[in-house]
Amino acid sequence: MKNFEFLFTAWMVVWAVFFVYEISVARRIAQTREEIERLKQQLQQR
Amino acid sequence: MTTAKAAAIILAKELRLEFRTRELLTATVIFALVVVVLFSFAFDPTAAESRRYGPGLLWIAFLFAGSLMLNPSFAREQNNETLDALRMAPISGFAILLGKILANFIFMSLAELVLLPVFAVLYNLSLTGIVSRLILVLVLGTLGLTVTGTVFSAISAHARMRELLLPLLLLPLLTPLLIAAVESTTSLFAEQPALDRTWLAFLAGFDIVFLTASWLLCDHLLEE
Amino acid sequence: MKARFAITALVALLIFCAGYAALFIAPDEATMHAIQRIFYFHVASWNAMFCAFFVAFCASVAYLVTGKRKWDALGVSGVEVGVMCCTIGLITGPLWARPVWGIWWTWDAKLTSTFILWLLFIAYLLLRGLVEDPEKKASLSAVFAIFASLDIPLVYLANRLWRTQHPQPVIAGGEGSGLDPTMSKVLLLCLFAVLCVMILVLVDRYRLELLRNEAAELRYEIESRGLDASNGQETPALQKGAQ
Repeated sequence: MKNFEFLFTAWMVVWAVFFVYEISVARRIAQTREEIERLKQQLQQR
Repeated sequence: MTTAKAAAIILAKELRLEFRTRELLTATVIFALVVVVLFSFAFDPTAAESRRYGPGLLWIAFLFAGSLMLNPSFAREQNNETLDALRMAPISGFAILLGKILANFIFMSLAELVLLPVFAVLYNLSLTGIVSRLILVLVLGTLGLTVTGTVFSAISAHARMRELLLPLLLLPLLTPLLIAAVESTTSLFAEQPALDRTWLAFLAGFDIVFLTASWLLCDHLLEE
Repeated sequence: MKARFAITALVALLIFCAGYAALFIAPDEATMHAIQRIFYFHVASWNAMFCAFFVAFCASVAYLVTGKRKWDALGVSGVEVGVMCCTIGLITGPLWARPVWGIWWTWDAKLTSTFILWLLFIAYLLLRGLVEDPEKKASLSAVFAIFASLDIPLVYLANRLWRTQHPQPVIAGGEGSGLDPTMSKVLLLCLFAVLCVMILVLVDRYRLELLRNEAAELRYEIESRGLDASNGQETPALQKGAQ
């Protein structure tokens, strides 16, 4: 295939961007869930 | 009190405030002049190039100067919290916004009227025979600039780094206006001056769209 | 949870099929050969971008009308995902242009317009970052999103009118009229696949924003009851007052 490097890079860019973003969102969701649990416990202590 | 009357009163207030010191007007004109002069160092315009690139530089100078000049519109109100007082008055939110838009329009037009002959002299462009059509283009372009600029001034007044934020919000939005205004102005400065109705209609459309949007959304701009 | 897993798996399968189709099923283009296959994902990501921005526009209007925070959450999610798709489009464009035209960038109508859109909606994200009060942040960014969305057709129209006066090389050499029927089918498949991925990511970002709002409300609740939010001890002042 001619110009395969460009095609491959483009393909990688498309999925890498989506993938990295999705991972970062998923991680932040988990972190925020933990924080919510912690905060709820604090409120219950009061 | 009708919106028109209230807007007129706000307009009068803004004009009175500015003409007391005239510092904003002066600074705007000087800044636009600086931009125009700087461009002359960046490009060395011959007569033919002046005709082609000159209008672009002129409008970029107007846009830069405008986005600096529009900031104090609402920032000044913030410093003394006078906006709360305005909102408590029995006038519509749109009246406040309209008054400020008109004031900014007048300030910007005054600056442009000073700059235009200077620009024509510096770049050896003739203004004869095209003045009235040029003024039409300037009016439509400046209206679009001041409507959107005043709205974004209200938005960025609540933000940090508002002097940097306003141009960032405004300039990408205004690129269609810039294109239309530059094309109209360029065709007016050409060998055979002509005014393209397509671009004029586009400018008018741009102004109508954003004036309507401002009217519909003004209450959300001014709420506490 | 199970439904979510099933949907993700389904979308992953869809992407695999779309990719396979784009690389192997679609016929080779006459002049550009293999590199033209970028077109399937390049166009698909721009289509996803417009959908994301449309969602953001509707959400912004809904927020201003109803005042419910969930619309604001949807709005920011739409813009963020839209900017991401826009970035993908702006990167794949030059990757296509370079081997075909020998230049990385050209100021043709579509690319220029999309670049402006990218700047415009990045400004939205900057605006949100610079306003602190959450309610003001929501209403001001909703107003800006509406203005920006209204500008989208104007940007494309102005650039198109302008560029027809100054013709430039056109990047999109394979789309529009005269598309081979197999190519059309592969294109539709890729459009659908990328759109599904975009929706998946959008929904996740929306959930994150809702969770963040919930956490902020809890923190506010804790602070207003006088608890120290970091270690749950009552502040000394409150203890004294109770005595």
